[in-house]
Amino acid sequence: MLNGGLIPGRPYVISGTTGAGKTTLAIQFLQQGVRQAERALLVAVDEPPSEIRENVRSLGWDVGKIRILDVHPSAKAFNKRVSLVEVAAQRSVGSLREAGPNAKTEAMKQASPEISIQSLQLMLKQELQESRYSRLVIDSLTSLKKLSQNMEDTNNSIMSLLRFVSESNVTGLVITDLPDPTVLEPEIFLCRGEIRLHKRMVGNRAERCVTVEKFRGSDHDLLPRPVTITDSGISIDAKRKISKASLKMLQAFTQFSR
Amino acid sequence: MIKDKIKTGTPGLDEMLDGGLIPGRTYIVSGASGTGKTTLAMQFLLEGAMHGERVLYIALDEPPNEVRKNMMNLGWDLATIQVFDATPDVMSYDKTPVRDVSTERAVTYFKELPDKIRITSDRSPADISINTVQEMLKQEMKVRKYTRVVVDSLTSLRYFYIKTSEENASMISFFRLLSDLGVTTLATVQLPEIAKPDVEAHMARGEIRLQRWLDGRGLMRGVTIEKYRGSCHDSQLRSMKITADGIVVKLSTTEKTVTEKEDEDRSKDAGQSRQPDRTGPQAQPVAVPQTPTPPALPSPSSIEQKVAKPV
Repeated sequence: MLNGGLIPGRPYVISGTTGAGKTTLAIQFLQQGVRQAERALLVAVDEPPSEIRENVRSLGWDVGKIRILDVHPSAKAFNKRVSLVEVAAQRSVGSLREAGPNAKTEAMKQASPEISIQSLQLMLKQELQESRYSRLVIDSLTSLKKLSQNMEDTNNSIMSLLRFVSESNVTGLVITDLPDPTVLEPEIFLCRGEIRLHKRMVGNRAERCVTVEKFRGSDHDLLPRPVTITDSGISIDAKRKISKASLKMLQAFTQFSR
Repeated sequence: MIKDKIKTGTPGLDEMLDGGLIPGRTYIVSGASGTGKTTLAMQFLLEGAMHGERVLYIALDEPPNEVRKNMMNLGWDLATIQVFDATPDVMSYDKTPVRDVSTERAVTYFKELPDKIRITSDRSPADISINTVQEMLKQEMKVRKYTRVVVDSLTSLRYFYIKTSEENASMISFFRLLSDLGVTTLATVQLPEIAKPDVEAHMARGEIRLQRWLDGRGLMRGVTIEKYRGSCHDSQLRSMKITADGIVVKLSTTEKTVTEKEDEDRSKDAGQSRQPDRTGPQAQPVAVPQTPTPPALPSPSSIEQKVAKPV
C-alpha cells in the first residue's frame, strides 16, 4: 500500500478508533526493525509496559529486544512534585523483557513526576544520546497531550518533539486517536504520512480496514484495504477490495472538507 | 478579463481560472492533509522559474530538504528555486539565549541545501515568530525582486509562530504585507476534515480548494475554485490526478458517471438545478470511463449540491 514502505527518518501518524489495532501495528513495526538488527524504542504512555508485554506474548512474539521507555503516569501523590528536569533522570529505558509485573520502582513511588510532551522530549534526548535508534513508537500522543497540563504551548511542544525525532534521524510512528473531523490537530499536518485504521460495525460484525490518508514524497494506494487480526498479528490484504457494506460505512464518515 | 494573468503551472487549472492568477495578489490553496497542496504550490514556482522569474519558497512546516527529495520523485529540478528555511528549532526547555532568525538564516537555492535535516544548534535555538518572517520577507524583497512566493503553510504560521493572542490580527497584517510587496503569493492552508471558514479565506483574493473523497472506485481527488476576486472562473468541481509528473486537472466534468438521473432528482428535491458551466472550456462530453460504481452513493450527489451552492 505504501509503495514499498516508509521513507526513513521521518515522522508518521497511525490514527484510528479504539480497538482498531494501532498498538499492534506499531509493535509489528518495531518487531520488524529488531529482526533486522536495528534498535527500536517504544514509548509507553497508555499502558504500563508489563501489560503490553503480556498482550503481545499472547500473539506469540518474542519482543525481548524492543527497548521500552515507561512514561505511564504513576498514581499521583499529592505532595510537592519534582521538577521536569528531574524526571529525565528518574525514568530509564528497559527492555521489554525486563518489564516485570511491578514495573514501578520504589523511586517512582516516592516521587510521581509529571509527564508532559516537554519532559518526554528531554527523556528522549538523553536516551538518543546514549544509543542510536532507528525506529520509535509513541503510544499514544493523544494521552500525552491530555497529560500535558499547560495547553497553551501544546502545539509548539508537538512541533518541537516531531522535529526532534526527525533531526535524530529516527523513523517515528506516533499513535493518535481518530481526530475530531472539525479540529485540525498539529500532528496530523506535521507528519509526513498518516495511516488510518478503521473498525466499524457492519451488520452485527466488526469489520476492519486501513487507508493511507497522506504520504508525502511517494505514491500510495488510494483504496481502503481489509485488515485481519489473527494469532500472528495484523495483516493487510492489499489485493482485495473491502466489502460494499463496509465501504458504505466508510463513506458516511469521510466527508468533503467543507 | 484582466490581461496578463500569470500561469499556475498546473495543467487544466489555468482554464478553470480563466487564464491564470491576477499578478500581485495573494491566493490560498486549501485542503485536508494529503490532498496535494505542496505539490500544486511547487508547480506554481516551477512555472515561474522555467521562465526565468525569481521565485521564493518559504518552508514553515516540512523541512526543505525533504521537500526537495519528495519533488525529485516527480522528476522536477528545483535548482533555481530559492528557499527560506523557517522551520522552527527543537525547543530546549532550559534557559538559553534565543537568537532572532532573520539575522541567522538566509535565503538559499534548493540545490545548496544539505541532504540532511538542519540540526538545532545546542547552544542557542532561533526564535521564529510571524514578525521575523515578515521582516525577512521585507528585506529579501528589497534585495531581489521576486515575482512568485509560496508560503507553506499558513496553518503552521498560525499554530506555531503567533505567540500573542491576536492570531487573526497578525494574520491580517501578514496578508497586508504581502499585498504591499506586490508579489503573487500562493499560501497553503491545511483544513480539518470538516472545515469552517477562517480569516485566511476572507483575506485571500482567491481560494483554490483541493478535495478528496471516497468513492466506489477508491479515493477520488478534485479541485474547486471557491473564490476568485476580479475574474470569472469555473464553478464546477473538476477531477484531479497526482501523476508521476505532478498534478493534472481534468476538464471533463467529474461526477456524471454516477447515475445522472438520480443526481438530477436529488438536486430537484433540493430546489436547485445544476448551474450551467459558465466558463467551462468547451465542456466536452463526458469521457470518464464507466466504472462499476454502486448506484446509491451518498457523496457524489452531495458534491453536486455543494458545488451548485456558492459559498
